[in-house]
Amino acid sequence: MKYLDLAMNAAEKLGVEYADIRIQKTTEQVIFLQNLSLKHTSNNVLQGFGIRVFKDGAWGFAHSNVFSDEAVLATVKKAVETATLSAEVNKTKKLRLAPERSYISTYKTPVKIDPFSVPVSEKIDLMMEVSRTMLAYEGIKKTLLIMIMHKDEKLFASTLGTRLDLTTQFINPMITAVAVTESDSQSRTFDEGGRAVGWEWILELDLIDKAKQIAEEALIKVKADTLGAEERRSLVLDPNHLGLTMHESVGHATELDRVLGWEADYAGVSFATPEKLNNYHYGSELINFVGDNTLEGGLATLGFDDDGVPGQKWYIIKDGILKEYGSTRDTALEIGLIASRGCNRATYYFNQPINRIPNLYLLPGTKPLTPGELIADTEDGIYIQGRGSYSIDHHRINFQFGGDFFWEIKNGKLIRPLKKVIYKSCNPEFWNSCDAICDERFWRPFGVVNCGKGQPPQTGRMTHGSSTARFRNIRVGGSQ
Amino acid sequence: MNSEKIVQYIQKHCIADDWTLNITKDDSHETRFAQNVITQHIAGAMKEISLSVSFGSKAGSCTVNQDDEESLAYLVKTAEEIAKLAPEDPEFVPSAGKMDIPEIVNCDPQTKALEPKQLVDIVQNSINRAKTYGATVSGLTEKHIETNGLFTKNGFSGEYEKSDFGHSMTLKKDEVETKVAYEAKNFAAFNLETLLEKLFNQASTLAVKQTFEPQKIAVLLRPLALQELFWFMGWMMDRRYADEGITPFTDQLGKLFLGEKFSWFSTYKQPTLLAPPFTSDGIIAEEIPWVEKGVLKNLSTSRYWAKKIGSKPCNNYNMFIPGEGYTEEEMLQMVPRGLIVNSFWYIRSVDVKAGEFTGTTRDGVWYFENGKIQYAVNNLRFNEIPHTATKRIIATGISELANPSSLLPAMLIDNFNFVDKTSF
Ligand SMILES: [Zn+2]
Repeated sequence: MKYLDLAMNAAEKLGVEYADIRIQKTTEQVIFLQNLSLKHTSNNVLQGFGIRVFKDGAWGFAHSNVFSDEAVLATVKKAVETATLSAEVNKTKKLRLAPERSYISTYKTPVKIDPFSVPVSEKIDLMMEVSRTMLAYEGIKKTLLIMIMHKDEKLFASTLGTRLDLTTQFINPMITAVAVTESDSQSRTFDEGGRAVGWEWILELDLIDKAKQIAEEALIKVKADTLGAEERRSLVLDPNHLGLTMHESVGHATELDRVLGWEADYAGVSFATPEKLNNYHYGSELINFVGDNTLEGGLATLGFDDDGVPGQKWYIIKDGILKEYGSTRDTALEIGLIASRGCNRATYYFNQPINRIPNLYLLPGTKPLTPGELIADTEDGIYIQGRGSYSIDHHRINFQFGGDFFWEIKNGKLIRPLKKVIYKSCNPEFWNSCDAICDERFWRPFGVVNCGKGQPPQTGRMTHGSSTARFRNIRVGGSQ
Repeated sequence: MNSEKIVQYIQKHCIADDWTLNITKDDSHETRFAQNVITQHIAGAMKEISLSVSFGSKAGSCTVNQDDEESLAYLVKTAEEIAKLAPEDPEFVPSAGKMDIPEIVNCDPQTKALEPKQLVDIVQNSINRAKTYGATVSGLTEKHIETNGLFTKNGFSGEYEKSDFGHSMTLKKDEVETKVAYEAKNFAAFNLETLLEKLFNQASTLAVKQTFEPQKIAVLLRPLALQELFWFMGWMMDRRYADEGITPFTDQLGKLFLGEKFSWFSTYKQPTLLAPPFTSDGIIAEEIPWVEKGVLKNLSTSRYWAKKIGSKPCNNYNMFIPGEGYTEEEMLQMVPRGLIVNSFWYIRSVDVKAGEFTGTTRDGVWYFENGKIQYAVNNLRFNEIPHTATKRIIATGISELANPSSLLPAMLIDNFNFVDKTSF
């Protein structure tokens, strides 16, 4: 596209050290159904470009939704003026960019059936049937269904000579059944957090079967017992649940911008500071966390990040020891890294990219172990499935999590369903208490599509994964 | 294309039985700084045009951000195609008709006139002062001018402009972390010196810290902390969810369900408060008591639910909580001991039916005894039910602006339920 060269030439003429342009078209289809009322069905298209320039140790970023030579040139000028203002302030401490080579490349999310090619009526019919399936259960008073199909088409050019053509997409179905009695209401949700795949995934999922399961479990849950006072017990956590736990307590804690204090004013900082690299026991020896922006189906598998750095795979925690962070070109040199790990991502064309959690997952256990065997081996504990309440402090140390479905374990057996269970733990207690992880046959990925961070806020996406795992001696009890 | 032209295009080309058009424009400048350095700096204008159409009760929507004829043609065609494929909606409501829209001043000319250089100077001065104090400062200095327009086939036609200026600062010096922020539609009341003085004062009183165990204890919650807590409670105060038995507000309308020292209004008569005159689907801002002296008076009601139950739609568009006017010093005298909490962080629902939430303290917690602050303490986690906490209000302060949409006082609340502590 001619605007790429136009913008880069103009930026170079204005004497910048570095510049890039990202022309981005975001297409989203959202279908929201509540009971049998289709609340919202929409196609949304947001397109424009963002131009980022680096000058005298400072960034300037300007964006526009107007596609014309004049608008591109005016936006370059605005970005340069903005960087010039920043540079005045940064005179005594300049930002630096880690070196990077140029790339000429394309990437496309592999999809068998493009969700946008499936008629909207077929999607609505499926969702109506799913909703009717759940409402057929007496006691299910409300259903909520959301289907999101999302595509980003990006053209990226930088003054390094990089030229990228990237088309990435994901799909995310969510189904909730709410059971209501005289004295309580409880919901159960099917939500795998989205996956970078096509409509073929929806066909494989069998949402009708999932609907029956969550409706039945919501009815069990609303009548389930509650736990009493907090006690230290074992937790057996399923991969979906662990996806959110690792997101909050490992993913955000190992974003280098937080470590550097760049998010101190809002999203927070991190306890996992650089002097802990290569010596801090973040978890037990079983704990291996990998950052992997090449993961198949991963929401952060985009070919390249918005710095023009390719997707990579690296250890963040190895054998329990903190090894590295997720980094960007403007954070890497601050702690002496030689290059970025490619974690700079923007949500829309009008957002300046920020340091994001990569696809981050817990490696499976190396010894054969099934979830059934793990529960059979647990004397006293709680088995937690799915995601519920979650809250963590702004240093990423102390946290409290709920879940979506709970069973009490006694002498190796699931003896009764529970509701309103919460557990409290902290870093590094939690990951050090892990004494068993099921093997690779039970490893499952789970996405996060609503990771809020930044000022102004942006919504990030990434995939996590694990096998079912056990944590010993964690404080768990009922809510008030 | 201006809004008028876009409306004309839709009137001419949309063949649906009914339509609702939303046009949003935003011109922003955001300077982000951290550890005494500008780390991000963003400028630009945006536009979004959303069209919802219906044939009978079959509805569909589309959003674009370009206003050329080709984009508008796509907008109309896409929304209409979706609507034709949609099933009949049993909860369909026609678009809002012509209404009297209250005149509310939401845009301040002085805020609108702010230049990028002025914003950066505020950042520069903040950083210089932090350096002199031997600290680092991180924050966001921002300006937004937003226009929201709503036009319908049934005759609703309205557009309003709102301004927003914000400057926040989080100070870090050794182990001390604390924050101050100003955000309002008006720039005029902003005073950097006053804000810096407050920041350094907070920082100096946080330097000596002692370990404090979680417990039920009296708390003086400052307006920002309360705003966050009550915002989450307000999010649950929905008529349909109450009528369906999902929230704690089921069958509580008209009853003394909250504490008698607690009232909450949405109002457009407080000049400093932002008050959008209408919602994106045409619910007009009115003077609404949500809670008056503990009695639950109203719950947010959507246009569909209002029609179904024969009530009036209403929307919780801002938070005005009147206070009794006690000073912080006076309130510290009212209980033998307690904590002062500056703000909360990461509040999330724990149990929807119970109305229970969790969260942690942030940016400063102080222990007081015998009417005086004794020392700062570590951060704490709470599990608390805000509507029952209002029954434990001992006294309330002077209402102040916590953010553009919230005007509320500090409150002294007894037996606040802290359940865990952090190591910092
Ligand atoms: Zn997140």
